[in-house]
Amino acid sequence: MELSEDSLRGLQRLADPAQFSPRAFGAVLRAAFLSLSLSPDQAAHPAVDDTVFQHIPPCHIKECQAAATMFILEAVRNTIDRAALSTFLEDCKFDKERTEHFWTEYQKHRESLEILLENIGRTPPHVSDVSWRLAYEIKTNQLYKTHRPSYLVKFNLESPDTSQAKDISFNCSMEQLQDLVGKLKDAAKGLERTSQM
Amino acid sequence: MRPEPLHAQTPVRRHVEASVHESERCWKEDMNGGFSTRCRGQHLLVALSPARSVWYPVGTRAAHVCRTCATLMLTLLESLGRIAVEFLRKGSNPKVYEGAARKLEVSSTTVQQAVEGLTYLLSESSKLLISDIDFQDSVLVLGFSEELNKVLLQLYLEHRKEIRRILSELQPNLPHYHNLEWRLDVQLASRSLRHQIKPTVTMKLHLEENSELKTSVLQTDPATLIHMIQELEQALAEMKTNHCRRIVRNIK
Repeated sequence: MELSEDSLRGLQRLADPAQFSPRAFGAVLRAAFLSLSLSPDQAAHPAVDDTVFQHIPPCHIKECQAAATMFILEAVRNTIDRAALSTFLEDCKFDKERTEHFWTEYQKHRESLEILLENIGRTPPHVSDVSWRLAYEIKTNQLYKTHRPSYLVKFNLESPDTSQAKDISFNCSMEQLQDLVGKLKDAAKGLERTSQM
Repeated sequence: MRPEPLHAQTPVRRHVEASVHESERCWKEDMNGGFSTRCRGQHLLVALSPARSVWYPVGTRAAHVCRTCATLMLTLLESLGRIAVEFLRKGSNPKVYEGAARKLEVSSTTVQQAVEGLTYLLSESSKLLISDIDFQDSVLVLGFSEELNKVLLQLYLEHRKEIRRILSELQPNLPHYHNLEWRLDVQLASRSLRHQIKPTVTMKLHLEENSELKTSVLQTDPATLIHMIQELEQALAEMKTNHCRRIVRNIK
């Protein structure tokens, strides 16, 4: 895990009890985690005018929050364990108490951050649900006495890229639906076998 | 041009008669420049060309054209029947008319009319899925010999299934299921997150619309896959419920 010099400097500053009181440290850390878990338009900025930050220049607060955020992201990205996290923070002059505090907060947010990072990148639209409708076809203007079931199937799609996430609907006869279900079942069976290996 | 008054009312006969009246009215309107789209839609038969886009009129000529056939010999009817079936498969082919016309020593227009008449008879009968007896009743009024009628019946029975298949392609075209391919993946890492274990099912869904294939690549997770299977199995099972069976039994 590598961090830029700016980030390292920010972390070292954050570790310094002379600059950041325990309360100020907690506030910066909270803001860093919040800014990652909230959507961009509601991102939490540390309250610069908050009383806990009274004696700290705003540019330092910003620098420290950015550094903490970078560190959190890198840690989640590389799935580092407690030992590695502690070593890294100790190298940045974090004391035991602050390292402990960091680890507790990190544990709380790790899972949601992993999901967040997992969803970054290009993937095909994700099928999230399926709905269906059954009709019995009687006749058309071209053909009488057709008498057959006809299904309308809709796949609900989700995609990070909203332009792609258009639901797919299609018609199918009973045989075609059986074919579709058969193939999906094959896939499910394959999945089950693989998971047992 | 008008057929004889029809005595027994069988479905095809009724339809042919109605078509003839309507088409004549349409032609008259056409002369006056008032050919309405409604008439065009209802009383023109789709020429079943591969492109499925050529429309041509046959209504007026249907009955009288079949009479033209009566003047031809039995074997000729068989060959015309073949041409008619070919017509239904591939669309009209003027060259075939000319070739047949030379052999038969009649004008190619006569051959064309005869083929179109037969085509109409075959496609209309297949569309309505009439029984043997109804078909025989319907052609009886055309005044052919018994043998010719038998040949026509044979032609109808032989090609009914195929013609119905061709007609079914003319239905309003919605995207239709064609095939599904799948692949199992486990996502292991990405730029933004190392060390993942994320099982995914990637699917390629082939849909058919206007005889063109369209594919979409989709992805899902195991839990959703199981859910999809359950839902779609319920859809299939629904057809076997008493409610559906009762409806199906009663629509005959």
